[in-house]
Amino acid sequence: MASDVDKRSHWETAAASSLSVDPGNDRSDSPAPALIQGMEPGASQDEAMFVHAQSYEDLTGEVEGMEPASPGLEGQIENMEEITQDFSKLSTQLSVSSSHSDEQSREAPCECGDSPPPVIQEADGELHPQDDWYQHQKHVFVLSEAGKPVYSRYRSEEALSSTAGVMMALVSFLETEKNAIRSIHADGYTVVFVRRSPLVLVSVSHTRQSEQEIAQELLYIYYQIVSLVTLTQLHHLFQQRPSYDLRRLLSGSERITDNLLDSMDTDPSFLLASVRCLPLTSGLRDAATYCLQQAKAKSLVFSILMSAQQLVTLVRKKDQYLHPIDIHLLFNLVTSSSSFREGEAWTPVCLPKFNPSGFFHTYISYLSHKPELLLLMVSTDREDFFTVSNCKKKIMERLEKRGTWTPLKEALSNSLYDVAQVGIPELRHFLYKSKSSRLFTSPAMTAPYNTEVEQKRLVSLYQYLHGRAHCSSHPLTTIYHIGPQENILAWVTEAFELYVCFSPLGTKSSAVNGVSRLLRWIRKEEEKLFILSSSTY
Amino acid sequence: MSGQRVDAKVVMLGKEAVGKTSLVERYVHHRFLQGPYQNTIGAAFVAKAINVGGRNVTLGIWDTAGSERYEAMSRIYYRGARAAIVCYDLTDCSSFERVKFWVNELQNFEEHCRIYICGTKSDLVENDKSLRQVDFHDVQDYADEIKAHLCETSSKTGISVDELFQKVAEDYVNYSDFQVQTEPKGVDLNSRKDLTSYTCCHH
Ligand SMILES: Nc1nc2c(ncn2[C@@H]2O[C@H](COP(=O)(O)OP(=O)(O)O)[C@@H](O)[C@H]2O)c(=O)[nH]1
Ligand SMILES: [Mg+2]
Repeated sequence: MASDVDKRSHWETAAASSLSVDPGNDRSDSPAPALIQGMEPGASQDEAMFVHAQSYEDLTGEVEGMEPASPGLEGQIENMEEITQDFSKLSTQLSVSSSHSDEQSREAPCECGDSPPPVIQEADGELHPQDDWYQHQKHVFVLSEAGKPVYSRYRSEEALSSTAGVMMALVSFLETEKNAIRSIHADGYTVVFVRRSPLVLVSVSHTRQSEQEIAQELLYIYYQIVSLVTLTQLHHLFQQRPSYDLRRLLSGSERITDNLLDSMDTDPSFLLASVRCLPLTSGLRDAATYCLQQAKAKSLVFSILMSAQQLVTLVRKKDQYLHPIDIHLLFNLVTSSSSFREGEAWTPVCLPKFNPSGFFHTYISYLSHKPELLLLMVSTDREDFFTVSNCKKKIMERLEKRGTWTPLKEALSNSLYDVAQVGIPELRHFLYKSKSSRLFTSPAMTAPYNTEVEQKRLVSLYQYLHGRAHCSSHPLTTIYHIGPQENILAWVTEAFELYVCFSPLGTKSSAVNGVSRLLRWIRKEEEKLFILSSSTY
Repeated sequence: MSGQRVDAKVVMLGKEAVGKTSLVERYVHHRFLQGPYQNTIGAAFVAKAINVGGRNVTLGIWDTAGSERYEAMSRIYYRGARAAIVCYDLTDCSSFERVKFWVNELQNFEEHCRIYICGTKSDLVENDKSLRQVDFHDVQDYADEIKAHLCETSSKTGISVDELFQKVAEDYVNYSDFQVQTEPKGVDLNSRKDLTSYTCCHH
């Protein structure tokens, strides 16, 4: 895998000099960002509202006092051959025949700069019973350590039960290192295992994501399951009965997990481990924040307004910080079910990064459907529904009384901004993440990215570049990726991450130029694009 | 948005997918939503005013998920309920077994809660008698034994739905008036009463 880094026509270190800016610049005068964290466009002026989250921190950091994970498989396991054998068994069960899978002519990662996702050619008129396998780029399975199926993304229960044995055999190699990530490449598939006792998560995919990216997604699935049952209960159930069938307890939640996996293919929030901020004039945002602040209750920890998967504002209890993963899980929960659309919901939710041992009670209610505006309030007291519900009433009353409601709704109905506003002709799309605020901003995906296929393709390119930039063995600060359909410049500094998509006609120097103009524009608009101060009750 | 009190807490109980949400949806919004099944997550609350002999009664209806995952927490939803509508699917006999579980819970923890047993999806058995898996008379015997009211409804056609909630409200008015009056009135800052003043923002 590492070889493809060298083969590419990238400028890497060379670009850094043309992109670097004077770190001594003062925030207010400087249109260009300083490279110091906390000074970049979008950085919060006081403390941040989110827990600091680094890419892959869960993959490399210590988790609950367990052994640190060691990513990568290279040369660490003697039984590599055995694994490969086992995997061949597995893959023949996954594919009808290995020759068939060769026919899929998946492009090797080193030349797949812009190849569309592998398209599955059906042999004329022939229907294979397991063709479903080909139609999906990424299968995800969750098993218990005893090998009991817990979740399967495409409900391929049959395939799961017939492969569970093989998977468990593979997983047994992980026995020594509890949180290790392991991966195997064979037959055009990448199999990634993540073990988080008492669960084992497996992905079988043919995407261009790095192992780390895939492992990060598997961890999201792990956290998703924890958020449904709490870690304490999960451990307890399997300690009592290692052969416990968790599916019973998770029944009805499959849609939530499915939705999370689908979102990770189209929404860069997960990739960036940060929260997308809804652009709003600071006056309106402050007014909305004020209304949330005023409607406080003893048991409330967080009050959140969200619209279309974007954060409008968040008010938190003093000294309490939400983790981007937890807010992603909350957003995913509310968008994965239409059951929240009417009335008021009061739902136990565990926020695994905030406190994995217990449930919070979350109040969920739509303030408006068109445009979408959702109120989420996280409470520590499950008996407190009516108090919290009363807070909603106060919030609505105050928004209306202060004349915030109508302009807010107006702003929400066209909350997505067009990349044309930036005024850089070749610029098509970008992601900009402020590391200190854990917020990111991104324009609407307009033509040519206005179809789902193209959106997924662009996100998978971002994933690919993100993976390369954060590769643990070869991290890169700048990558210029030239492709037939677009060029992308990725720039990762101490203070921000930027992925900028240009038309394929542009040149490298126009891209560098474009990036500094873009950063200047973001600085100019930062009050609107970001939430610059974090509010408490 | 007029300030309104919730008078009676009503909880919907029963196995997943028996039709609790559809029943509430039919009663409150007069509609039946077809489409893929959307299981309720946690529980949903909705307040609805109803007229009983010229008097306005506001029912605070808790629609629960019915999944095992929330079972341990289900008490918070039925605690203090004046009425429980325990649902089962007429075309699924296993769902009737769950009715017994909920009835037991209620008898053990909520002695003041009146129980309404409701067989759902009657339109299905109406169309095809062979689909019925739960005999009406068997359930009637059971209902008599536990002193519960029994009905069969269809949220699809709306049949017997309004009547069920009307009965719940009437029973509340007829049976619980004196109880409320004998309750000591006083301000206890530490107590968290479920039936505190609540604003009903639904029609
Ligand atoms: N034919 C018919 N289907 C119904 C009726 N009530 C509910 N359903 C269907 O049964 C499924 C479960 O309904 P839902 O109300 O969500 O069940 P809950 O889990 O108990 O809340 C849905 O697919 C509904 O469309 C009914 O009266 N007639
Ligand atoms: Mg329901």
